[in-house]
Amino acid sequence: MGKQYEIPLGAQHISLLEPLHFKFTTENEKIISTDANVYYVHRGIEEACCTKFKFRQVSFVVGRVCGLCSISHSTAYSQVAEKLVNIEAPLRAKYLRMLVIELDRIHSHLLCLSHVAENAGFEALFMKTMQYREFSMEMLEAVCGNRIQYDFSIVGGVARDLKAEVAGMILQRLKTFLPQLDELVDIFQNNWTLSLKNKGAGAITREAAMRLNVVGPFARAAGLAIDVRNETEDLLPWKEVGFEMVTDTTGDVYARNMVRLRELYISIRIIRNIIASLPESALVTETKAFPDGEAVVRLEAPRGELFYYAKGNKTQMLERLKIKAPTFSNVAAMVEAFTGNEYGSAPAIIASYDPCLSCTSR
Amino acid sequence: MKLAVYRKKSPWILHYNAGGCNGCDIEILACLGPKYDIERFGMINSGNPKQSDILLVTGPVTKRSRERLVEVYAQMPEPKVVVSCGACACTGGVFRGMYNCEGGIDQYIPVDVYVCGCGSRPEQIIDGVIKALDILERKTLELEVSVRLKKVPVEENGQVNRREVAAKIIHTQHTYE
Repeated sequence: MGKQYEIPLGAQHISLLEPLHFKFTTENEKIISTDANVYYVHRGIEEACCTKFKFRQVSFVVGRVCGLCSISHSTAYSQVAEKLVNIEAPLRAKYLRMLVIELDRIHSHLLCLSHVAENAGFEALFMKTMQYREFSMEMLEAVCGNRIQYDFSIVGGVARDLKAEVAGMILQRLKTFLPQLDELVDIFQNNWTLSLKNKGAGAITREAAMRLNVVGPFARAAGLAIDVRNETEDLLPWKEVGFEMVTDTTGDVYARNMVRLRELYISIRIIRNIIASLPESALVTETKAFPDGEAVVRLEAPRGELFYYAKGNKTQMLERLKIKAPTFSNVAAMVEAFTGNEYGSAPAIIASYDPCLSCTSR
Repeated sequence: MKLAVYRKKSPWILHYNAGGCNGCDIEILACLGPKYDIERFGMINSGNPKQSDILLVTGPVTKRSRERLVEVYAQMPEPKVVVSCGACACTGGVFRGMYNCEGGIDQYIPVDVYVCGCGSRPEQIIDGVIKALDILERKTLELEVSVRLKKVPVEENGQVNRREVAAKIIHTQHTYE
């Protein structure tokens, strides 16, 4: 039994994008217990969505919940509002939503991977991944008009159409991206130095993941086949466009990296299928109805299952909006997976969780 | 020591998220990447407030992060420049008026450069930081003017501000260009 030290990490730290506070209790550099504090970014968006903004404006406000997965938030809200006013989005709008969600997934996963590389001390790989990631930002700008904060999904459909030349550009850039992705997989899989940092670090077992209710790539790396795209077919037709589950077994940082990289291949396949089979229809279903009743929507954001609940009372304002973000489900497992690791690998483990605190605390 | 030259040619950046949506933060990260490559201006993202010259702040100030923001600002040595990134850091943006938000960081710390946009594009962020470099140079010059004090200045509340006293003496005795 050695002497125990408490080491704080955060709220301002070079390895963190957002204010997040961990208090590690360490013994000979081994972390024996962790305390997490994630609510620095609480802004009160849910309350403002019910008092300040009309229900058609809310899809732009909830996009500002998170800059990384803003399309997931605005799409999930649009779907729940469509349920409340009893309309269904046109098929072309559904396909375009899936296209932007998958492009967003590419940029989010690559950002997470580059962040893991940087926090593990591999600066060159950070630069390489960020360089390869820029294509997805350019494509998102070409499709939606902005690099982040797309404002693409609105209640009833989507705001912009996909032009034929943009679709051609996406296919062409995907062709150049594919060998780059192979190169990244090769580095993340076979680099000996990186594997020393990644293999076995931050591991969580399948049973613990199931007990702690983990979602997203965190759960799939531990062997749990949890993906909303596999479970729901009514709102977005994921299986039509070639979705496939990706899982790993070990549940450590290495497995999470590999799950993210292999999901990128699925995303590329989905994007290609969507562009090849984009149906012709209107973009928006118009209605003058006001939201009424209750509805629930689940959607697979880049970090896992995103849950929206809304309640309307036949006025312009919603009565209640509840957002449950994927990171909120993962916080308990994040705290547990630190146990037994060295303090020096904590930043890389945090990055591999891909935490999104602005989603969690809203 | 050519400290002034080094400070202009290689300013170090401190990044703090005061409760934003991550959008501007990933654009700052994109600035560090190879396409925009902010390092060609000598800038390095430093995690330590005591070694930094430029404070890049994003996000509306939430009530829990404002003490950290002021603390981080207070720990930076003079001369320092504050750049507020994005619409919500400048004015509060879409979050203005929400119950846990303050409208903009300039209610708590002095801001030198405002970068607009939701989210700010990397080009805008680079432009704002380059503007901050000029302000940093001017602030360095202001600090380094040598002043001879004629008599001991006594303020009413017992507080002596060196910079104010210097400015007063410069104004009355000789003009500094």
